[in-house]
Amino acid sequence: MPVSGKTYRRIRNIVLAWLTLVALAGFLLDIPRINILEHTARNLYFHVPMWFTMMAAFFVSAWRSGQYLGSRDPLRDTQALEAARVGAAFGVLGLATGIVWARFTWYVGQGIWWNFDPKQTMAAVQLLIYGAYFTLRSSVEEPEKRGRIAAVYNLFAAACVPFLLYALPRQMDSLHPGAEGNPAFSDITHPTMRVVFYAAVIGFIGLFWVFYTQRVRLATLKERVEDAFRT
Amino acid sequence: MKEPFARWFAGAWAVFEKDLRLELRNRHAAGMLLMFVPASILLIFFSAGQEPLSPRIQAGLLWVVILFAASIGLGRSFVSETDRDTALFLRMHARASMVYAGKLLFNFLLILALDVVAVLTMTLLLHLQVAHGGLLASAILLGSLGLAGATTLLAALIAQAATRGPLLPVLLFPLLVPLLLSAATATRHALAGGDGWGASAESLTTLTAFAGVAITAATLLFDFIWND
Repeated sequence: MPVSGKTYRRIRNIVLAWLTLVALAGFLLDIPRINILEHTARNLYFHVPMWFTMMAAFFVSAWRSGQYLGSRDPLRDTQALEAARVGAAFGVLGLATGIVWARFTWYVGQGIWWNFDPKQTMAAVQLLIYGAYFTLRSSVEEPEKRGRIAAVYNLFAAACVPFLLYALPRQMDSLHPGAEGNPAFSDITHPTMRVVFYAAVIGFIGLFWVFYTQRVRLATLKERVEDAFRT
Repeated sequence: MKEPFARWFAGAWAVFEKDLRLELRNRHAAGMLLMFVPASILLIFFSAGQEPLSPRIQAGLLWVVILFAASIGLGRSFVSETDRDTALFLRMHARASMVYAGKLLFNFLLILALDVVAVLTMTLLLHLQVAHGGLLASAILLGSLGLAGATTLLAALIAQAATRGPLLPVLLFPLLVPLLLSAATATRHALAGGDGWGASAESLTTLTAFAGVAITAATLLFDFIWND
């Protein structure tokens, strides 16, 4: 069964209050001024959690797909689909915040929007896979068959994608922290920033949970209404 | 213990033999690939003009041609079973893993034939110069194995979908980005000369691992597509 309305509303309220605090702390607290980065460093609180959230959504979706193949419970298929949808939305946001950030720091004065950075490429490939997953779903009519085929594709993609982590960094240079010649994230971060950043990660994953649960509940309700009209 | 494996192998071999015989009878896939590969390389030749291409671009173009040809030519391997209504018959006589193994072997050989045509045509038209023949062969062999593993599963998948036309490339290409990157790197080192084997050891490892994981995952997941 999907999450009950009571639990959903309680966690939603906590997440909204939490994210409000994160946004306030993110914009108002003092941060160290680093050359070139300056105030754009605050984007750390929004850009990076998008990726954490997309990865979390990706795992939830693959996990639900596996459960669907085991149980053939339509709820599992709905959960896999909605996790992928919300994950794709977070992926687009992560790409957008990253492109704008890179344009005015790494590529300032060069006028470049897109440079093949490994992490950027990986995000683009992941979004392409989500797109293929949605396209595949739209080409099958029968719900049982659609769920089965989509789950197989989702799990197969989950097996192939991790190779990018290994193959990409050897092909192209990265400007992201932690890459060669760049200090890792933990070396450059101010204590205040670190606290706000971790809080933001938890908050955005919570926001994913809220959207995901709400969409699953909505889909289940729609199904129930349609069934009632049919009989 | 030996008996069940021998029977499994005989079943997989029978599926392969059936596909091979059908192919030799009408030469549908082979004819199409033989036309598609030279035609696309000719298009590259016309659009690039007389400009000599660097090994990096040659390696990239070679793999793009192979990927496109495979995604077009191999899409039929399961659609033909559904079209002729032979899928049920096959399902009665062979286990899912036998069918997958037989089709995989046939597709792998088809891709190898396609590779040979592509390399020969590129040597003829685009002056491909191979410094390390063995390295080029290993890169193509390993890359084609991973490509065949992924394509065979996805071909079975789209045979069940209602709109089959352009679906296979859409599903296939995002998954094959790691394969394309490693295969193109190894091929580039094979063309450019220098310390080819040492420089492409990592790429060959990635290709081997990708082929292993793709075929294992596909074998496990194929059950769910084949026996509905």
